[in-house]
Amino acid sequence: MNDLSSHCKAKALIVNNTHIMYFNTKSFTGTLLFLFCFQVHSESKDEIVQRGKELYNGAGSCVACHMEDGKGQKGNIPPLAGSDWLKGGSARSIAISLRGLTGPIKVNGKKYYAAMPPQLLFNDEKLAYILSYVNNAWGNNEGLITKEQVAKARKELPQDVFTPQSLLKRFPFDKKYSKKNGTFTPTFDDTLTEITKPVVYRTFMPGASPAAFAVALPGNHYYCWDAGECRLRYAWTTGGFIKSNQAHWSSNGKPVAEFNGTPYYRAHSSMLGNESFEELSKTNMQKPIYDTSQASDFPIVIDSIREAPSYLGYRLMNGFPIFRYSLGKHTITELIQMNTEKNGIQRTFTLSPPVKLIFKLTPSKSSSIASDCGKITTNGTLSLSKSESSEFSIFISPKEETN
Amino acid sequence: MKFKLPILFALFALSISGKTAPQYSVVNIPPPPTKYKNFQIDGLTFLPNGKLVVCLPSGEIFFRDLTKKSWALFAEGLHNPLGVIAISNSELIVAQRPELTRVRDIDGDGHADDFEVITDNFGMSGNYHEFNFTPVRDEDGNYFFALGTGSRGDGVRTITRGQFNQRGRPGRMHSSAPYRGCIMKLTSAGKTIPWSYGHRTPNGLGFDLKGNLFVTDNQGDWVGSSKLFHVQQDNFYGHAASLAWKPGFENSPLQTPVEKLAKMRTRACVVFPHGTMANSPTKVLAITPQANFGPFTGQLLVGEMNRPRIMRIMLEKVGGELQGACVPFIDGSPLGHGCNRMDWAADGSLFVGQTKHTWAGGEGIQQVSWNGKIPFEIQNMELLEKGFKFTFTKPINRELAQNKENWPFSSYFYEYREAYGSPRSDETKVDISSIKISRDSKIVEVELAELKAWHIHEVKIMNLTSQEGDDLTNNYIVYTLNRLLQNTPPEPLQIKTANSSKKS
Repeated sequence: MNDLSSHCKAKALIVNNTHIMYFNTKSFTGTLLFLFCFQVHSESKDEIVQRGKELYNGAGSCVACHMEDGKGQKGNIPPLAGSDWLKGGSARSIAISLRGLTGPIKVNGKKYYAAMPPQLLFNDEKLAYILSYVNNAWGNNEGLITKEQVAKARKELPQDVFTPQSLLKRFPFDKKYSKKNGTFTPTFDDTLTEITKPVVYRTFMPGASPAAFAVALPGNHYYCWDAGECRLRYAWTTGGFIKSNQAHWSSNGKPVAEFNGTPYYRAHSSMLGNESFEELSKTNMQKPIYDTSQASDFPIVIDSIREAPSYLGYRLMNGFPIFRYSLGKHTITELIQMNTEKNGIQRTFTLSPPVKLIFKLTPSKSSSIASDCGKITTNGTLSLSKSESSEFSIFISPKEETN
Repeated sequence: MKFKLPILFALFALSISGKTAPQYSVVNIPPPPTKYKNFQIDGLTFLPNGKLVVCLPSGEIFFRDLTKKSWALFAEGLHNPLGVIAISNSELIVAQRPELTRVRDIDGDGHADDFEVITDNFGMSGNYHEFNFTPVRDEDGNYFFALGTGSRGDGVRTITRGQFNQRGRPGRMHSSAPYRGCIMKLTSAGKTIPWSYGHRTPNGLGFDLKGNLFVTDNQGDWVGSSKLFHVQQDNFYGHAASLAWKPGFENSPLQTPVEKLAKMRTRACVVFPHGTMANSPTKVLAITPQANFGPFTGQLLVGEMNRPRIMRIMLEKVGGELQGACVPFIDGSPLGHGCNRMDWAADGSLFVGQTKHTWAGGEGIQQVSWNGKIPFEIQNMELLEKGFKFTFTKPINRELAQNKENWPFSSYFYEYREAYGSPRSDETKVDISSIKISRDSKIVEVELAELKAWHIHEVKIMNLTSQEGDDLTNNYIVYTLNRLLQNTPPEPLQIKTANSSKKS
């Protein structure tokens, strides 16, 4: 009865059977599993869990994504603490660790989008320790896992990466544990995982006026450009593109887009403080934090021009929008593409007629900023001469994580 | 009593449910291959080359070659486009939430590559209900578009566009961003100006054949029942919020006495009785000489979201202003719910796009065609000195038409009030004094015991058949009688009084 697949067959049966049958079978296998654990492990449960904890928290290990507290990362990495996917089903966690899991998944009723790669660096014994720890950490109360279980699964599981659907087909949930069934129908946005050509949406974006753009670049950098103020608001690369667009479209238009990453670049606006994106997503304000007629700190400063820029439109070049707007008598275009190293964005501007200008950028710890002419001061000011202003590029890329 | 009312209403509504004359057929058009599995149609027109153009909530625009029966994606990424005008085979004007946009294919590859703002000189609070409805263009190249108000179903966003105006913020439907609740004009010289005020959810502009501009509005606060307005410069049509943007109006709209607002307002030329005629009227489309749609050229069609219905409107000028009647026309299955946008195909048939956006409605595209044979319908209803003149499309059975009991007229009005909707007020059965039938049996003049100015007059003509024995297809018709031919009494306020508030 310590055979993984027969254990799972019993589980599969449970789902299709009556409650009486279910409880009988459940207590039966549960008892066997309990006996089995103590027969195989020579260490105490505490020792096993402690060993697993060390491996879990090792550099570059599980902790990097699922976090020390097992809570994962909102929208990206599902939690392990209290996860309905772990309940009553050691087979599932073994399978996910060995083969990986891809596709959006619902855990405890919430949606997560990041894929889990197969954990090829851990042998059967180490994986058994880790999963035993996960099963018993943060209030989880599941069985211990043996290296024999892992070895058997490694031999018998199909080689394909699991999807939530295929995993649940093989190892279904006990109805007792999950009401939400662990999967959901992905929207079009969810299928946009690898961006191969630019995607341009006009939609409601947090931290921008209601006249905003969300753009995804090939190479999976994303940005929000605000036509209400003619400026780049922020750029991000982790966590995927915006997620709620389909809800925005098919509904009455209320939902503001969501994304799961943290922007590596966020342009300063003197009209805003340190509001979070969650705060800026609010739609139920009595009055706004500010309206665009009050905005006075347009990043491009030309002597003697006091008026706000005026948005004119955009043209698609190979699918990339080239925004155009006027500032006084000057017409400015802005094209945002991936830089040649493909690790950040390149903003290419043209200005006609050219004029001496100051470009105010927003330096921060999370991004590096450079330009192809002029010098950027530590406070982010780029001064360009008249001739330099006719065409120039600004490069912004996320800084590598130091730890 | 509480329980009986809805049942009575349901029975009444059921008895009103109309039909489409057998001379008209409705067929479904296969939906465009949108990636987003959402087939609501928010904009619909035709290119000069005859191709169908549709806009979807996803921001996609598709062209359909009606001969080859194939779809092609023209543009994507627009923000809730709710109306489209074709300028050429490669150039459209689209009303999307933040702008009127010129969408063009410049390199000739069949895909739009230039999106030029033709105006964004209006505000957005970011409230979901602030739709940008249907652009239309007059012969001089001026554009008109309609800005929806914000809804109390939500507030405003953290960053809004255009100068925030606290005076327009209170209320069930609000106007805190510039010109929400106005019909806007973009002049051919490029200037954007508020053209008229007092609109709530003006989901549908359209011209008649004489160049008069009309817009519908949806029942709600300040709108006792849904309406059709003749849009004229600087007029105020009743919904208070947008007065916050009217030059010279310094008060807070909701703190202005309702008497004052009532005196400012311009009446609808047609009121659509709620529950029986329309709850959510949409696009206004004239029946042009090019339309192949029966003996109704010059009249207007208006869509209705909540039920499968397209109405026909007949207007006349009385006392210098337009007023008239509406009648269900293309009605009931197989027409779908949510008829939102309509236009004439090159063959003169009518294409209809359906939508819902979480409200009552539907999704899809249908084509309505006329087979060239005369349906039995009310062709026209006009005001007489003491009654109404009905013109029918076919000679009627004189005996049935002569029977006064077959003409159960009633009159009533909707109150002008801030509260949502309005009960029917002063609803009275109207007796028939006399009935005269023309020699050719196509015209019936019904003289009423009393004609009340500023009252809606409706009748559901009973048992009437043509001389060939056909039943009258659509027999429920409503005339919005504002002015009489002679001696119209001064316009009453018809505001909600203390008594009427108790009643409701």
